[in-house]
Amino acid sequence: MFALKVARRYLTSNPAQTVLLVTGVALGVTVFIFITALIEGLAVRLTDQVTANSAHVTLEPPTRLAEILPGDPAVRTEGVALVSTFQRRQIRSWRSTAELITRQPGVSALSPQISGNAFLVKGESVQPVSVTGLEPEGLDAITPITPNLVSGQGALGADGLLIGTQLAEDLGLTAGQPVLLRTDRGGERLLTVRGIYKTGLQSLDSRVAFLSLQTARPLFDLPEGVTNIEIKLDDPGRAREVAEFLAGATGLRATPWQDKNLNLEDALEAQGRTGTLIQIFSLISIIIGVASALVLSAYRRRSEVGIMRAFGISGAFIVAVFMLQGLLIGLAGGLLGCVSGYGLCTFLASLTDAEGNAPLPIAPERGGYVAVLILTTIGAVLASAFPARSASRIDPLEAIQQ
Amino acid sequence: MSSVLQARGVVMTFRNGDEETEVLRGIDVDLAAGELVALVGASGSGKSTLLSILGLLLRPTAGDIEIAGQRVDDLNEKARAAFRNQRLGFVFQFHHLLPDFTAMENVAFPAAAPAGGISPEMRKRALSLLDRVGLADRANFPATRLSGGQKQRVAIARALMNRPDLVIADEPTGNLDLRSAGQVLDLMGEVNREDRATFLICTHDEHVAARCDRRIQLVDGRVQAEGDGSISLTDR
Ligand SMILES: Nc1ncnc2c1ncn2[C@@H]1O[C@H](COP(=O)(O)OP(=O)(O)OP(=O)(O)O)[C@@H](O)[C@H]1O
Ligand SMILES: [Mg+2]
Repeated sequence: MFALKVARRYLTSNPAQTVLLVTGVALGVTVFIFITALIEGLAVRLTDQVTANSAHVTLEPPTRLAEILPGDPAVRTEGVALVSTFQRRQIRSWRSTAELITRQPGVSALSPQISGNAFLVKGESVQPVSVTGLEPEGLDAITPITPNLVSGQGALGADGLLIGTQLAEDLGLTAGQPVLLRTDRGGERLLTVRGIYKTGLQSLDSRVAFLSLQTARPLFDLPEGVTNIEIKLDDPGRAREVAEFLAGATGLRATPWQDKNLNLEDALEAQGRTGTLIQIFSLISIIIGVASALVLSAYRRRSEVGIMRAFGISGAFIVAVFMLQGLLIGLAGGLLGCVSGYGLCTFLASLTDAEGNAPLPIAPERGGYVAVLILTTIGAVLASAFPARSASRIDPLEAIQQ
Repeated sequence: MSSVLQARGVVMTFRNGDEETEVLRGIDVDLAAGELVALVGASGSGKSTLLSILGLLLRPTAGDIEIAGQRVDDLNEKARAAFRNQRLGFVFQFHHLLPDFTAMENVAFPAAAPAGGISPEMRKRALSLLDRVGLADRANFPATRLSGGQKQRVAIARALMNRPDLVIADEPTGNLDLRSAGQVLDLMGEVNREDRATFLICTHDEHVAARCDRRIQLVDGRVQAEGDGSISLTDR
């Protein structure tokens, strides 16, 4: 194609300027890739942190219609099917339910639990805690506790309790010491702190206490049932569909982890918006750069273009010459930017701090390379449209008479 | 002899706001195939304006023009461009070569751009034209590395690339020294004789005018006389 040859010739005729222009585009692309990989990496890291330490699907008894106290004058109760408020919300048939769930493909672990609220009392200090009673052999099924122990050990035993470092500090507790647990069901028992863990998750480390299911039963007045079944999946991304299926199959309320972490979703969305803004600005700067360079080039070459018009070269040909320049610049800058962006991200991802962690949660493989290459190329072609159009409209007489 | 160009009643009035300049006031021009005609007149008499109109680069205020048997007044811009490309050749005072291309590529350009590339036949024709203008050995020189006279000869070869019915030249020797001007003139004369190409050359140079078959003199926007060369260029 002759227009392509002319476009190439125009670009190579001033190598310094072209190199500068392509470098500018590549820089914009690098910024785009860096920010994409950073935002994506951050999302992956946050998501991983949450999915690694919490259940992917939680099964609970369905919400009851009427938990309104009869007789409350502010609430009209006619027509509401009243269910005894004395009836505990619990999963009685948890063994068969657990069996059903275990058979589902993609389920990697399961933990029937008794969850409730309580206070830990140590001398003068009282701290509210969220108590989780679970089967001792399934201690690490949902949240890896044993690997995160900083003191003591993970065997719960009959009167054992595991708490986080923050809570231990607040109460001035160390492993082996006794502490009084008082539940919201009125149960009370002196337990022994067997171990102290540190997961890095604020809520786990400061407000949760683990004990065995058997220990929890009398404390929460639940001789048979459990309050919830926590499930872990091979692929956390499938939590929603699995939850939907289990809800249908068991009649229980199934909540995927995303719904329990709406804050996370909000945070990720906000981050995503910031990223999009930076991406848009880097694309705009690419477009402005290419457009201004080509406007200048068209201006410098207007006598040449005018003479082409004089001997009858079509406006479409001139448009093609300039838009192909945009295309070539976009492709070259885009490819170069992809290479340098990947290089930068891989380098930054390889950096580690003193503890061996990556300070920047960059995901080099998620830089949005194809997208940025396509967007940059389209952007550069669009940017060349205006100079191309104005070049094609140069009056040949103007060129001749100068 | 068959007619290559027939212009009747060409009027050109430039308007700048309220100010009107009537440059051409009713011009008739006839050119027969194979003629070499000089267009002369004082500076500002409208020679370049007339050439632009006859070369379809400018639309006249009034007048009918027929080139190579085709009425060109009604053509739209696209058709006029295509017509210029296929039927007309241009040589200007400044060579206006494309600096990023070789002599051969410059010559072939008017054929190559519409066709999408330089075909072997185009290359052959471009090289033979360069040979014709005495620059066979400069075919692969970048245009920027040619002398002024050489550039103008390349420009003539370019004007001839698409075998035009009419070559329009506006002071083609105006920018050259005597020797180069002589060469360019010889060349046009040669091409005119041997290829029977029709030339309309605007010039201030008596030598150039003297070597043409006849001259058309513009005075005050009108053709004063078409004659045998007895009218002096300085006549008004
Ligand atoms: N676009 C225009 N607007 C207004 N007046 C114009 C325009 N173009 C040309 N003219 C006027 O038309 C007249 C003829 O100009 P033209 O260039 O045709 O003269 P010329 O015979 O070629 O002169 P020269 O020998 O100096 O080249 C001049 O007076 C010029 O000022
Ligand atoms: Mg003139």
